[in-house]
Amino acid sequence: MHKTLNSRSSQPFRVEVDKVMLTLAALYLLIPLGATLVFSLSNGSGFNTISYTQVLSDADFTKTLLLSLLLACLSTLLTVVLITPTIYWLQLRLPQARPLLEFLSLLPFAVPPIVLSLGYVEVFGDAHPFIDALSFGLVPLLSNPPFNIVNTPQLLVLAYVIVALPFSYRPIDNSLRALNTRVLAEAASSLGSGWWRTFLSVILPNIWPGVIIAALLTFTTAVGEFTIAVLSGVYTFPIYLDVTGQNDAHKAAALTILSFIITLVCVLAIILLVPRRRDKTDTTIEVATGR
Amino acid sequence: MAFLTLDNITKQFGRVAAVDDVSLAINKGEFLTLLGPSGCGKTTILRMIAGFEMPTHGNILLDGEDITDRPANKRPMGMVFQSYALFPHMTVEQNIAFGMNIQRKSKEVIQQRCAELLELVGLSDKGRSYPHQLSGGQQQRIALARALAVEPKVLLLDEPLSALDVKVRITLRNEIRRIQQQLKMTAIYVTHDQEEALSLSDRIAVMAKGKVEQLDHPEKIYSQPLTAFAATFVGNSNQFRGVLESAAEGLCRVDTQAFQVLPQPQLQNGTSVLIVVRPEDVVVKSDALSTDTSDADNTLTGTVDLRTFLGPFTRLQVRMRKDSGDTLVTADIPNQQARSYELGQAITLSFAPEACKVLPLDAIDAELMHLTVAEAV
Repeated sequence: MHKTLNSRSSQPFRVEVDKVMLTLAALYLLIPLGATLVFSLSNGSGFNTISYTQVLSDADFTKTLLLSLLLACLSTLLTVVLITPTIYWLQLRLPQARPLLEFLSLLPFAVPPIVLSLGYVEVFGDAHPFIDALSFGLVPLLSNPPFNIVNTPQLLVLAYVIVALPFSYRPIDNSLRALNTRVLAEAASSLGSGWWRTFLSVILPNIWPGVIIAALLTFTTAVGEFTIAVLSGVYTFPIYLDVTGQNDAHKAAALTILSFIITLVCVLAIILLVPRRRDKTDTTIEVATGR
Repeated sequence: MAFLTLDNITKQFGRVAAVDDVSLAINKGEFLTLLGPSGCGKTTILRMIAGFEMPTHGNILLDGEDITDRPANKRPMGMVFQSYALFPHMTVEQNIAFGMNIQRKSKEVIQQRCAELLELVGLSDKGRSYPHQLSGGQQQRIALARALAVEPKVLLLDEPLSALDVKVRITLRNEIRRIQQQLKMTAIYVTHDQEEALSLSDRIAVMAKGKVEQLDHPEKIYSQPLTAFAATFVGNSNQFRGVLESAAEGLCRVDTQAFQVLPQPQLQNGTSVLIVVRPEDVVVKSDALSTDTSDADNTLTGTVDLRTFLGPFTRLQVRMRKDSGDTLVTADIPNQQARSYELGQAITLSFAPEACKVLPLDAIDAELMHLTVAEAV
């Protein structure tokens, strides 16, 4: 009886603590954003939208923004198409290689983007017989016309897939591990299903939440990537943001708000447009992010 | 000619032979059970038949055709898994229709077949449900229907009842047998549960350490085990290790006591043997009598250690005190008789020479018998 009373009386307190924590977290995220918004609207002599008008009428704004969005979309697509079946294949056929793949997926964290960029320049810049052999002729093919991708947006797409690997690998891997992948694949196989059919019609629908998380994280990483783009000489939105910010802080603030809104819209679009599983009982994002 | 033949199948995992030169011939419409403790290779055999594992040596023939190298999705096998393996994002009907869609059957045929199969497994009203909305037993029925939907030539069942509670297990076990007999389906069933094996099968292959110890009808496996392992793994038994003193007279010695068994012309005098006596063959003679252990009258005196009511009969566990260590002997006796024995009471047990199965006991058998103990624990 005492216990019941105690637990009842402690419940409102816990709810209050939850609310306070949530409010603090929201403030932590929203205050800088609010301050940036206020700064972008103030122009010394009161509030106006001059900074926004200037930014939106700038041809570079549209050009760089569209390029960045295109790069992000392509990186996301390539990540989903390339990484998901690869992890699935490894889980089924080569589970002992998992630690190696985990290590590789974390490498982009250990290697700073500037080192990665210089590495790209080095690998694709000069001819190295060793690298040529190691890449089975892919590097010389991609460094020379007509397939040259050095210092082109195409190279950035490939680089972004690698940079986003720590964020894309884990949600997909966790989703696959939360699912009884091997047995489901064997069940489908015993019913006459081939590898691709099993992957597309049995496995993929069950790991959608993980794939969506991976796509979102890849997209946001690619949209905001600066170092590799600047070293490759590709004029993307983050570079435009940097250049503008050096000349006019108010415009930079307006750009920040605009890019935030655009990214938010894109992320919401991915969440809403991507089909989800019909039963609502299973945990989705929790499983996908996989603790 | 056998419908499904395993021809000298071996499967090596590294240096370990999970399946060691096994040959089996399964007839059309037969229900064969692979029975054995964990790690005996039974599931590996089933997985090789399904095409999920490739044999290191040997061939698998179905209806005279070699299917050893054929991929799993091209084999006419239906498989039921221990963990049900229903596709969670599909409804029951979609699960059942999955294989038929791959076979490009028409919508009408698929719908009709789904309805038939749901009726067969007694779940006609669950077609629109999702797997998570069903109980374990219902999910396994759907898994069975899904496996049958593709009209397999052989139905493979990998411990399908292990995850279910006892009551559901017994009901579903009878259902599986009924459906198999109704469809005259060839079925291979893997289990470590001897009761399941005895009740379901036309024949049982008792396995240990990658080999088939005995392949026979359930009654024969139980009453005429060929090896010490088969005798101890299948059914409950009292086991006495001893030496065959006279094969012609059927005289064995266990410690200091002589046991009268049937003549064993196939064995040599002096052979180490295991004498197996089923609990139902042990009778309680009376209260403790002073017995002269030099006489081979198969009587044992001890005290009641445990009395367990098991429904149709009561199991008595009787402790025989000896200098070399205590021995426990179990006897299944009528409930009415059991009521007159209290814990700690001295009683005399006996069994007929015909009730004693005498099996040669070599080092390998002794090692295998440890498996049955480990499994029981």
